[in-house]
Amino acid sequence: MEAKSIEELKKEIKLLILDTLNIKNIQPDTMDESIPLFSKENILNLDSIDGIELIMAIQKNYHVRIGDQNLARNVLESINTIADFVVTESRKKL
Amino acid sequence: MKEIVFEHRMAAHCETGTVTALLNHGGLEITEPMVFGIASGIFFGYFESSNFSFPTFIVRNKPGSIRKNISKRLGVKFYEQKFHDPLKGERILNELISKEIPTAAQVDFYYMDYMPEYQRVHINVHFINVIGKNENTYLVSDSYYPKKTELKIGTLNKARFAGGFMAPKGFLFYPLSLPSEINFEKAIIRGIRKASYNMLKLPVPFVGIKGMRKFARNVKDWPKISRDIDHLSHEIMRINILLEDQGTGGAGFRYLYATFLQQAALKLNEESLKNMSKRMMLIGDSWRNISYFAAKAGKNRDLGPERLGELSDMINARADEEHQFFSDLARLVK
Repeated sequence: MEAKSIEELKKEIKLLILDTLNIKNIQPDTMDESIPLFSKENILNLDSIDGIELIMAIQKNYHVRIGDQNLARNVLESINTIADFVVTESRKKL
Repeated sequence: MKEIVFEHRMAAHCETGTVTALLNHGGLEITEPMVFGIASGIFFGYFESSNFSFPTFIVRNKPGSIRKNISKRLGVKFYEQKFHDPLKGERILNELISKEIPTAAQVDFYYMDYMPEYQRVHINVHFINVIGKNENTYLVSDSYYPKKTELKIGTLNKARFAGGFMAPKGFLFYPLSLPSEINFEKAIIRGIRKASYNMLKLPVPFVGIKGMRKFARNVKDWPKISRDIDHLSHEIMRINILLEDQGTGGAGFRYLYATFLQQAALKLNEESLKNMSKRMMLIGDSWRNISYFAAKAGKNRDLGPERLGELSDMINARADEEHQFFSDLARLVK
């Protein structure tokens, strides 16, 4: 992964979510980074199938592996946790 | 209050996670993927029987096999006991805790009330380690939960003595003794040989590659045995749950096995196992594609013959791939 700030990465992740799940009516700036992605409070209103789609998109986009369901649950907790995971995995490759 | 010093770790799967944590506690350095691989955990079985209300499949060997195979291949001796009498079951567990012996218990997952409600389903083959006791609660280490937690005494008793298919019957186990020396090379090779045998040669028409082909053939007929489109949709979406969720280790345990092969390559100094690990990772990705395809088709009620034919083709392609994979793997450890 090329060097980018954590804020840029989070914005990229937001766009990836919107693009992967074909969500048109939400702007990246309105997406909260800490609210659990699959909670009722989140404006995205995601379900478990969206979850698999996101796992596959994150794996492909960042060349990482989300190898089990417990890890998936933790990584997909929020935009912040996805960003943390991508950063951690990228460091491992250095 | 009694709390045993015990290192809690999350794991991909409950049985391998529980066994690994107990072995680590006893001083044996071993990883969860290594436990899974040595115990020949990778598997496939497609079942149509009166035990199940609808055809189903499994992607790992049967519950309990991990512990039994680890015992055989590493020489670990386990204490194992089931109980007819719940009071005796509780008393024995309390005695073990008072002796500072962390003990694995088989439970109905539904009663693990520290887990989010939406995840809790009745599955009688969940495993946790019990690591302490307060006046009203047990302290438990559940490899699906991020930290050590508590469970009311009555709740754990209900979970241990739940009825139904594969009822736990209060089952407890812990390692009695660990060998002073372990020949990992031999154990890894035996684990791989047995896994390859199970996948390729076990003379049962519904397990291994034969099971995958049966699944591929029969899934096209699922509409005939479903009550209606809602029922069919539910069962097709369950493919995703069985591959990805409910303790399956993700992508049908294929990633966990890939990690085992990678670690085995280092232990055996065998470069070719690294390549096999990469191949197994890709196979895991392909199962994840099936999982996604099934979930989406089920959700959209897009379940006509064409779509089920596509699903069947995808499963058949995995059977081809895994046939080649396990044939090559078996040759490497001949």
